[in-house]
Amino acid sequence: MRHQPLHSVPSDDPLFNRVLSTLDIAVLERDEHSGEFQLQGMAPEWWHMRVGPESCTMLDLAQWSPFLREYVAADHPAWTAESGTVEKSGAWTESDGQGGTVTLEATVLSMESRTILLIERLGSGFEQMRAIVQRARECMLAEDVTVKAHHKTETRLINQLEVSERTKDGALALLQYLRLAALVLDEHGRITFASDRGLELLGISTREVIGLKWEEVFPIHQQDRVIFREMIKAPSDRRTAGPFYINSSHPAWIELDIHRDPRHPGCHILVMNDRTELHALRRELNEQASFHDLVGKSPAMLRVYQLVRDVASVDTTVLIEGETGTGKELIARAIHSSSGRRNKPFIAANCAGLTDSILTSQLFGHRRGAFTGAVNDQQGLFEAAEGGTLFLDEIGDIPPPVQTALLRVLQEKEITRLGESRPRKVDVRVLAATHHNLSEDVIRGSFRADLLYRIRIARVQLPPLRERREDIPLLAHSFLMTICAASGKTIDPLSPETLHGLMSYVWPGNVRELRSAIEFAVISCRRAEVSLSDLPPEIVGTPGVPTLAPWIPLQDRDEKSRLLAALSDAKGNRTEAAKRLGVSRATFYRRLVELNIQPR
Amino acid sequence: MIQKKICMLGGFAVGKTSLVRRFVSNVFSDHYQTTIGVTVEKKSVMAGEQGVLLMLWDLYGEDEFQHVRESYLRGSSGYIVVMDGTRRATLETALALQETAVKTMGPVPFVSIINKVDVRSQWEIDEREIEQLRARGWTVLFGSAKLGQGVEELFLSVATQIMQAVPLSSERA
Ligand SMILES: Nc1nc2c(ncn2[C@@H]2O[C@H](COP(=O)(O)OP(=O)(O)O)[C@@H](O)[C@H]2O)c(=O)[nH]1
Ligand SMILES: [Mg+2]
Repeated sequence: MRHQPLHSVPSDDPLFNRVLSTLDIAVLERDEHSGEFQLQGMAPEWWHMRVGPESCTMLDLAQWSPFLREYVAADHPAWTAESGTVEKSGAWTESDGQGGTVTLEATVLSMESRTILLIERLGSGFEQMRAIVQRARECMLAEDVTVKAHHKTETRLINQLEVSERTKDGALALLQYLRLAALVLDEHGRITFASDRGLELLGISTREVIGLKWEEVFPIHQQDRVIFREMIKAPSDRRTAGPFYINSSHPAWIELDIHRDPRHPGCHILVMNDRTELHALRRELNEQASFHDLVGKSPAMLRVYQLVRDVASVDTTVLIEGETGTGKELIARAIHSSSGRRNKPFIAANCAGLTDSILTSQLFGHRRGAFTGAVNDQQGLFEAAEGGTLFLDEIGDIPPPVQTALLRVLQEKEITRLGESRPRKVDVRVLAATHHNLSEDVIRGSFRADLLYRIRIARVQLPPLRERREDIPLLAHSFLMTICAASGKTIDPLSPETLHGLMSYVWPGNVRELRSAIEFAVISCRRAEVSLSDLPPEIVGTPGVPTLAPWIPLQDRDEKSRLLAALSDAKGNRTEAAKRLGVSRATFYRRLVELNIQPR
Repeated sequence: MIQKKICMLGGFAVGKTSLVRRFVSNVFSDHYQTTIGVTVEKKSVMAGEQGVLLMLWDLYGEDEFQHVRESYLRGSSGYIVVMDGTRRATLETALALQETAVKTMGPVPFVSIINKVDVRSQWEIDEREIEQLRARGWTVLFGSAKLGQGVEELFLSVATQIMQAVPLSSERA
């Protein structure tokens, strides 16, 4: 409503009154004296509802409307006539006295000395506005609900995520607690998780391996990398790779269980097992399978190896006893190379079948002209072995004069060349070997007892092959490899059938015979596989039938030598010998017969 | 009887109208009818020994469509700030309105209420924020116009504070 020149319009103008009433506007003027507002002209429609009958033309604001009273009472810019401003009260709502409401708006005008109050009922325009605002607010509330629902979902998801993170954390804690060495690789081979123990095993100190490819991180050999890469590509759900050597500040041997991650195709879970200790044990075992050039890991051989180690550390003479072909020289070489003399010469001499003078000259040397054909001064094997070891094989075959000379050398540690009179100092360790029972030879008188005691300060008894059959596959394999390598042939590993055949034979010629048999087979076999028929006929022909043992079993042999020693001590007197052994004469006789001892 | 003008302030749909109607007529409606403009309701209470006629100015809610006219606030002896616990935004509106109120009315007594405690599980306003309000010196009540919880206490609390704050002689009859 604009500031209209109301003063020019008489308040009782019927037309104006009608217009105002039609517009639902009441025009009131303040009574200067009572302060009450007096209706001017016609009352609008709402007047009846709100105020009373048309006759009532006075309006007590305090009673009628606290809102309007406040509005009128306030310092209002419109009170100042000059300002010419029109300010509306803003909408307010009153009860229509019939259970409904009317929304009104007031305007105060100051006209000269008169105060005019217009009260307008807000009609359809206002209702429209209210409807729009209502809709807008409802929309906002609805949106709020939606946003909140989203928020709730989000919160729930975050919580779920948290729970699953916690579960994961729990699982990880468990992994760490169990010290499980685990690693997870994604489809590109990048590490997405590594447990502490896993890093420790790989010798990685930082956690910054996440996101790196395993190739950049695993300190393993090139060929192991290739193997591992292949293993990862393999289609099976679970496989084991390794053991691989971890080349870190804490070297280790690890075995890797490669699991396909069931939830993420292409991803792998690696569980690493520390096999360092196992590997060391295995290596120790393998080492024991061969000792120097000796092959075998049977308990009997392991005892021999130990014995060799024991005697190597002392500088005594050693008597190595064993059937022919059992590898006595190898034992001698092993003792030499385990001893403090290892950097000095090792000289082997076979004493079998040599005459007195040849053997003497060989061992001790000779002076030019000492015998026919001695054109030069010649040093003997003792001198040649100076500082080192002299191995005398088949010492039982040494003729008696040489035995005497040998005994003197062992006692005096000096030799005299044949044809000379001046002895020479020698520092030589003597190792002797025999396939005889020297005690028997002593009894028979073919071997000097004092020499036997001299050389038998320590003894190593080599078992015959038939007493360590479990070493046959290992030996056979080892020979096959060396023979193939030497001959340039490629032969498959021996079949179980062939091995069985080899193990069933008694091997009177022991390891040497086995080696020859393998050589024979490699030469005769036409395919890449050695079959039974390729072996020498005596081996295949007599499976399981033992030839007569030329060697008495160990325990019997001990008893036999005891009996022989007693006989020797008693100078052949059986009653005396029985007494010395603390057995009856009858028992002594019976054992002599059982052990096939025929005293001369 | 002494009359006191008390304004209901707060964002839209926080429950100003519902609180007044619950207090004055003990009715409640789930149906939302937005208030446009002002409705003045009256109810007399006993503030201690003294009877007071409370003139409750239910103003329309403050939002982007409508801003509270400062002129409405003039002459108030006190006011009530209403928040809706289920809508965090109503807390900010409350803070802004309270500042306007202080500017217009000066330091008159006021009480705030977080309405809709019947749906406490859906509240967005949390304990920490409530503590912050209290730290500002606000009286923060919880209530529900729907259940009538804390409604009497709300109005009585304001009335009592007003009666204690203003000496009798300055009353406007
Ligand atoms: N659940 C619940 N709803 C309420 C409560 N008070 C008001 N409401 C609802 O909130 C909406 C807005 O209420 P109203 O009093 O109009 O709010 P105003 O805009 O602040 O006057 C309406 O739908 C009411 O039914 C309450 O205490 N609890
Ligand atoms: Mg309302």
